[in-house]
Amino acid sequence: MFSMAATAYLTGLGSYLPGEPVENDQVASRLGGVDRRTEAIRRRIQRANGIRLRHYAMDSDGRTTELNEELAVKALTAALADRGIGAEQLGMLACATTQGDLLVPGFASMVHGRLGGGPMQVLTATGVCASSIAALDAAVAKVRLGDHARAAVVGSELSSRWLHQRRFTGVADHLDAHFLRWMLSDGAGAAIVEMQPRPDRPSLRVDWVRQVSLAHEHDVCMRAGLAGSELVAGQTWQDYDDVATAEREGLLQIRQETSVLGALAEAGLRQFEDLVDLGLIDLRRLDHVICHYSTNAFRDVVFDALRTRVPGLDEDRWFSNLETRGNTGAASIFVALEEAWRTGRLQPGQTVLLAVPESGRFSFGFAHLTVVAPRTPRRSPRSHG
Amino acid sequence: MTATTSTSLSGYAPPARDTRPLPERLDEVWADLERRLADVPILRALAAGDVTLEDYHRLLHNLRQQVVDGSLWIARAASNFDVEHFDLRSAAMAHAQEEHRDHLLLQRDYLAIGGSLQELRAGRKNIGSQALSGYMFSIASGPNPVAALGAMFVIEGLGAQKAGEWGRRFADVLGLADSQVHFMIYHAEADVEHTGTMEGFLTSDRLDADAQDAIVSCARVVARLYVMQLTELDEI
Repeated sequence: MFSMAATAYLTGLGSYLPGEPVENDQVASRLGGVDRRTEAIRRRIQRANGIRLRHYAMDSDGRTTELNEELAVKALTAALADRGIGAEQLGMLACATTQGDLLVPGFASMVHGRLGGGPMQVLTATGVCASSIAALDAAVAKVRLGDHARAAVVGSELSSRWLHQRRFTGVADHLDAHFLRWMLSDGAGAAIVEMQPRPDRPSLRVDWVRQVSLAHEHDVCMRAGLAGSELVAGQTWQDYDDVATAEREGLLQIRQETSVLGALAEAGLRQFEDLVDLGLIDLRRLDHVICHYSTNAFRDVVFDALRTRVPGLDEDRWFSNLETRGNTGAASIFVALEEAWRTGRLQPGQTVLLAVPESGRFSFGFAHLTVVAPRTPRRSPRSHG
Repeated sequence: MTATTSTSLSGYAPPARDTRPLPERLDEVWADLERRLADVPILRALAAGDVTLEDYHRLLHNLRQQVVDGSLWIARAASNFDVEHFDLRSAAMAHAQEEHRDHLLLQRDYLAIGGSLQELRAGRKNIGSQALSGYMFSIASGPNPVAALGAMFVIEGLGAQKAGEWGRRFADVLGLADSQVHFMIYHAEADVEHTGTMEGFLTSDRLDADAQDAIVSCARVVARLYVMQLTELDEI
């Protein structure tokens, strides 16, 4: 006999990475930037972030080959196929992205239009990496409330169009725009959320989801649309005489204040410790950590810090595919979870912590999952028919 | 009136009139119903915690096909009470009004667990529901259908004492949200009020012996047919 509160399960996962994997030395063939100085910056940043392969929805002429909403739909279609259901069975679609294809309307409306299915609730979570967890949280909450039996979540990014040389040529030079230029890439990852575990294969029970912003005590540090670091009325990218002027001044570049990244890692560790203190994470029963981080430098900082707190935490329990899939922002946590799931790392009974720090203005998303085996009915389903 | 005791040569004696007070006789009907319910396969599985979402889905689908007609026979009974039974007419009209929208509650639960509205609406009564519904319309169609109080006793009793228990058990076993077991839980609350009103009629002294017998017989038939409805799931 078992008994439980209303619970949500991840029952299908899918990801989509456009085109062929692109190696470090081929990156300039997509994004441009072949002058000696740019190349030196690229090499330095690539060495630091540890990424070896990534994908771009961009051809060697710098043309965008797919829409962001197409990436999202392909990941969703893969997740639906993994679960063996169709879009018409979804009650809700929650989409996370940094920037959809359009300024208006919301990304989720466009993704729903392309995906099809029936009438459904849509939610667009914009932000950066942790918007993935915000979208997951919303879908899980609505399923747990009983408002929907099935929902889908997708994180999707098409940042290459922001990173191409045409966003840099003739634009005021900002070194802090290069950090993300050689780090971000394109892709999408999706999950199906249901009120019941799937009957045929293991599922991931969502034990809890937490998201927290520390913007009340930190300035914005990863941003686009702003000239300096001070936000003043009349001076955002939408307030210039024309957008071309805003672009020439660098407002359409994604910039990162790198000096605060150490503080971000520290703040993330404090959030983790709070979750341990609250009893939401039991260090003795934490089997896997899937952490999104932008560069391998943070992996080492965070991993060393965790190892002092989690006895016996070894590399086997730590999973990231940053090096081979790139940093796909809001998609990355689902892209990593999908790979860990598909390759059989996660076994029934084990627990998984998803951790997504977001530098934007210091926010953090966490989710705790438990792998559950399918229920085995003790009688045939129709024995009372 | 007392039972005759003369015995035929074969030793067979036809059933004698039961002279016990009505509440006592109905309690016996209820106790018998509870024993029969304990043997209904889906309820046995539920008690054992051995049900799937598919079972709950199936149960709602089957119940709906009868629930959607629930207020109709009550309304018909109301229309057949003459002015001498004005209070029963009032009560039946009010009750029909209350029951009228019940199937919408069930429908919301059904959608909330991922069921299709189209499939629910296209459903047909199982053989138990057909028998139950047919019987109720037949009872309600006669003049002054006092016997229908027996049906109310069983059906409202199930709502007040059993539906809530089943709903909570399904929620517990399957991890369902409140909004997915609303129909069963709501019934437990609303039907407690209805049974209170009905107790008044059943204990009033204006029910003569024939009326009391008719009520008990109707209750017994409805109890059997309700069990049949729950047993013959998907059998149409």
